[in-house]
Amino acid sequence: MVNGWSPLALSLWVSSLAGLAALVLGVALAWLLVRRNFRGKSFLEGLTLLSLVLPPTVLGYYLLVLLGQRGLGPFIEGFLGIRFVFAWPGAVVAASITALPLVLQTVRVSFAEISKEIEDAARVDGCSEWQLFWRVMLPIAWRGILAGGLLGFLRALGEFGATLMVAGNIPGRTQTLSMAIYDAVQANNLARANGLALLLTGMAFGMLFLVLRLNRRIVGI
Amino acid sequence: MNKRLSLCLLVLLLLAACARQGPSPSANGSSSGNPAAGSGDPALADPAQAEITVAAAADLQFAFSDIAALFEEQNGHKVTLVFGSTGQLAQQIENGAPYDLFAAANIDFVHQLLEKDLVLEESVALYARGRIVLAANRQAGVRVTNLEDLLDPQIRHIAIPNPEHAPYGAATRQALESAGLWDAVQPKIVYGENVRQALQYIQTGDAEAGIVALSVADVPEITWTLIDESLHQPLDQALAIVSSSPHPDIAGQFARFINGEQGRPIMRRYGFVLPGETPIMNPNTVP
Repeated sequence: MVNGWSPLALSLWVSSLAGLAALVLGVALAWLLVRRNFRGKSFLEGLTLLSLVLPPTVLGYYLLVLLGQRGLGPFIEGFLGIRFVFAWPGAVVAASITALPLVLQTVRVSFAEISKEIEDAARVDGCSEWQLFWRVMLPIAWRGILAGGLLGFLRALGEFGATLMVAGNIPGRTQTLSMAIYDAVQANNLARANGLALLLTGMAFGMLFLVLRLNRRIVGI
Repeated sequence: MNKRLSLCLLVLLLLAACARQGPSPSANGSSSGNPAAGSGDPALADPAQAEITVAAAADLQFAFSDIAALFEEQNGHKVTLVFGSTGQLAQQIENGAPYDLFAAANIDFVHQLLEKDLVLEESVALYARGRIVLAANRQAGVRVTNLEDLLDPQIRHIAIPNPEHAPYGAATRQALESAGLWDAVQPKIVYGENVRQALQYIQTGDAEAGIVALSVADVPEITWTLIDESLHQPLDQALAIVSSSPHPDIAGQFARFINGEQGRPIMRRYGFVLPGETPIMNPNTVP
């Protein structure tokens, strides 16, 4: 699969999966951080924010060591049949890790805005925690969750450094839009670089606009 | 509002679906290719037609793009080229990158992979000897005909490939050291990741001068002069089939093509000295 795909198609594919992964993980973590107190909460919180401040090279290097041939690579491949390093799943992992903090923070805010009284009222009416999440929290916070997912997708679309180290820059296999731009500039193919850069900027701007609209509805302006 | 939102998402999804099926716009210098007709996996559709990925040193950018195009035309197999510095590509192969053939700018890197059984011993072959050139941007208004000219204060940046992992960078450093200039010019030096990035810095004029491979020097933006080969270790370029290649036969076919009747004239045209041949070259002089 994905063999021979254009950079645009690969970018959309990788970013969609990465955005989705970051969204699922982000919602779960946001729930945990907003509603639960437990030992090591600050530690977990710090860990989720780490990819926001670490250089992409450090993240890429960790992933390369962890998932590579000298790390868990051969084990994972034998077990799941998936190769991460220098293949698109590696790009998905790198992009979802960098997207997670953005998703988490956005979703967290929208969870935190739900008043405790609504929750308690639901509990009094006999809601289980699971029902509380699906029937109450999700319907109220959906805009924030969607905005978080879109932001995650956008961050994944813009991912470069860690992806370059883990997935490489192989045309038709791991060459996403940002890789293709880097490649075009190195090859002094400025027409291509311009075209791809404009495409990426246009997509990012359009979706940011969407996120802003969603956010406005949350805050109620 | 909700409707508009879902419409936007729908459009996005459609865009993704279309992009996946549409013809690949990636047919540029780095991936010379006619995307196989239809959207199916070409390797599965026709067993006689396969795809190989060639990791090639950056100095091969122009020559290999031409050779790969000719090979695709004559043999029907698709060749995807990945360019980088030899050291970086070797490191990627150590980490399991899915390359079929490795064309290094220095045989030492092939030998290092051979020690770890990552390339096939019987496939190791010399295919070219490279040269380095002193290059200057035409618009920069500097006169650069020998290495001492790099000391000119008008030259503020000198672009060279990174000596740590790019063989042409290592040769550049040796040449500057042999000429006794390394310490004096070092503050002006900027590293490109590989030959083509160093070249790009000179092409744009962000570096007024630099040192790159002869094989990529024939671009309109720059002038160049050959650097005496005795100032550095020979740039003996070797290739080898990667041990994990699923298509060693086709990789071998492409390797022979490079070193064969069709490939050699192209390599010669880009200034490479070929195995078993003596150099006959007209040094280009700066006007």
